[in-house]
Amino acid sequence: MISRRYFVYVAFLALLAFFAITLHDDGFLSQTNLLNIVRQTTPVTVMAVAVVFVLSAGEIDLSLGAVVALSALVTADVMQDHGAVLGVAAGLGVGMGVGAVNGGLVAVLRLPSFLVTLASMGVVAGLARTITDLRSVAVEDRGFIDIFGSGDVGPVPGLAFWALGAVALGQFGFRHRRFGAHVLAVGDNRAAARATGIRVDRVKFAVLVISGTAAALAGILYTGRVQGASYTLGEQDLLTVIAAVVIGGTRLFGGQGSVIGALVGSLIMGMLTNGLILSGLSSSEQLVAQGLLLLLAITLTARPEGDPI
Amino acid sequence: MTRRFAGAALVVVALALPQLSCESDDTSVKSVTPIRSSKTLGTTHGPNGEPATPTSALDLTPTEIAKVRAGHYTAAFLWHENAQWTTAVSNGARDVFDDLGVDVIAEASANFDAARQKAELETVEARHPSALLTLPVDPVVTASAYKAAARQGMKIVLLSILPQGMKQGPDYVNVVTDDLFQMGKRAADALAAAVGDEGKIAYFFRDANSYVTNQRDQAFLKTITTNYPGIEVVAKQGIADPTKAQEQAAAVVLKNPDLSGAYVTFSEPPGEGVLAALRAAGNDETKLVSLDISDPMALDMAKGGNTTALVVDRAYELGRAMAVSAGYGLLGKKAPAFVVAPAMTITRSELVQGYQASLHRDPPTSVLKALGQ
Repeated sequence: MISRRYFVYVAFLALLAFFAITLHDDGFLSQTNLLNIVRQTTPVTVMAVAVVFVLSAGEIDLSLGAVVALSALVTADVMQDHGAVLGVAAGLGVGMGVGAVNGGLVAVLRLPSFLVTLASMGVVAGLARTITDLRSVAVEDRGFIDIFGSGDVGPVPGLAFWALGAVALGQFGFRHRRFGAHVLAVGDNRAAARATGIRVDRVKFAVLVISGTAAALAGILYTGRVQGASYTLGEQDLLTVIAAVVIGGTRLFGGQGSVIGALVGSLIMGMLTNGLILSGLSSSEQLVAQGLLLLLAITLTARPEGDPI
Repeated sequence: MTRRFAGAALVVVALALPQLSCESDDTSVKSVTPIRSSKTLGTTHGPNGEPATPTSALDLTPTEIAKVRAGHYTAAFLWHENAQWTTAVSNGARDVFDDLGVDVIAEASANFDAARQKAELETVEARHPSALLTLPVDPVVTASAYKAAARQGMKIVLLSILPQGMKQGPDYVNVVTDDLFQMGKRAADALAAAVGDEGKIAYFFRDANSYVTNQRDQAFLKTITTNYPGIEVVAKQGIADPTKAQEQAAAVVLKNPDLSGAYVTFSEPPGEGVLAALRAAGNDETKLVSLDISDPMALDMAKGGNTTALVVDRAYELGRAMAVSAGYGLLGKKAPAFVVAPAMTITRSELVQGYQASLHRDPPTSVLKALGQ
């Protein structure tokens, strides 16, 4: 009997095998295509790692997608006059700032993160539209483009290193530092965590800052990848990120999480989109197939441990 | 072979079909002034100022069609969204590709997300299509991806949007789009007729950097303010989020209860939102004109409601023109740089013909029922 926590890997292999068999003539297994999936999923993976912390602590961050767009635009805009280093710093600063405001409101004023981040999502999305008056900003700094999205190291896309770095850092913090245990304790039982001396408010604040920073990094990676920024970047990523994290074995309501599972969940989401396009289905048919396959994956992976199937 | 050339003839003949004129003979439920064509104050130019060539000028000879068929080419579609308009474009392209023996191997819709469109483009490249028909989501942030696809030898035909820095010939075959100025102008003429050339109107324009909607909106405003001095634009409301048009319209209607008419930048969903706001206010007097077909607005028009005209492009024909342009690219034949499909105005009496001409299908049953058919 396979433990439910391993189902995400089984689902990944099953999906890979399914597309490998059905699309063997359509380039699915080509090196280019498999590396494309890695490239395409990296920003989602980076955010998914952070969302493991957020969900495990029993919180949620709805402002993720909006932060992606704003930090991408700020990075691209600042870079035009002040260079890539300041651009990246400004972009990351935006993410940290939004995360700190979200975290402050949740931790200090004890407001629910759902409502706080719903409100900040609106504010940030509005700012993203305002700062460049709805215009997209092109990026031409070759060094930035190579480092943050479009460069390769040998045959391996540079983005893969960003994904691996985020996962390694996340896994280290989640599994090998006290902070990870505190996050899980807060998500599992807030009162008990507080009784054992865990500073619950500090944990809540920290996970939302991590989330904002990761969204900003995702925005910067998108900027390097598409060589520009627009207010639509990342706006639709929120549900994809949450689906990837939940498929990966993180509980939506806290107390349980998996960083490696989130990486695999993100790859599953990317592989689904990729395979369904290659299959030649129409856009509407792809939506139906994606929904059904996602439901199957969630049925296998997202139920609590011990539940009968 | 006979069937093949019959198909070839169809391609040529269908693109040369005389354009349906829908400007006159309006006999809607409520009698309105017939729509007259006012002075044209501008023209539709390409992104680099190219003059417009009508879709009817595109032509592949039977010999050329046979050559394309012999190439056993493949094609992919990448659209900005998934809607009935893009479905009609796809259908038009598929019908021509059937005749040309071109196999459509992949289709995707980016839902206005530039990063997603880049990912879709990379995915489609894995299947090495010979031709790509596409509407880029953003002229700036999709440019690098399209240039990379062009370098792989894909023949790219663009719908409406030209990614920055791309050159006709090496990078793309041509740009196909609507007659944007005519669409805005026709909307102005239709609304002027609906309000009897006088009164107060509201102008709901697209508040985003969009080549297509900006040109159409500006053509409307220029025509209505210059050619119709009896009409006063009392409210100008930018629509940044098309799904929020109802809330914006409710405020405009509250502030201006005596509106004779309103123009909405496109029908689905902002036109429907403005219509909903008028209904919620119990307003059945304000005449509504919008761009593109929307089934709820068509139904409203069929029932003699606020909607008096929809100005539409010929989505199906756009698709046909794009597929023929792809044929030009595959043959190495020089294509006109900027091709436009004509606009048409649909009033109640031309709803059925309008659906056919634009989307190549009948109106929904509810619309036909309301029309008594």
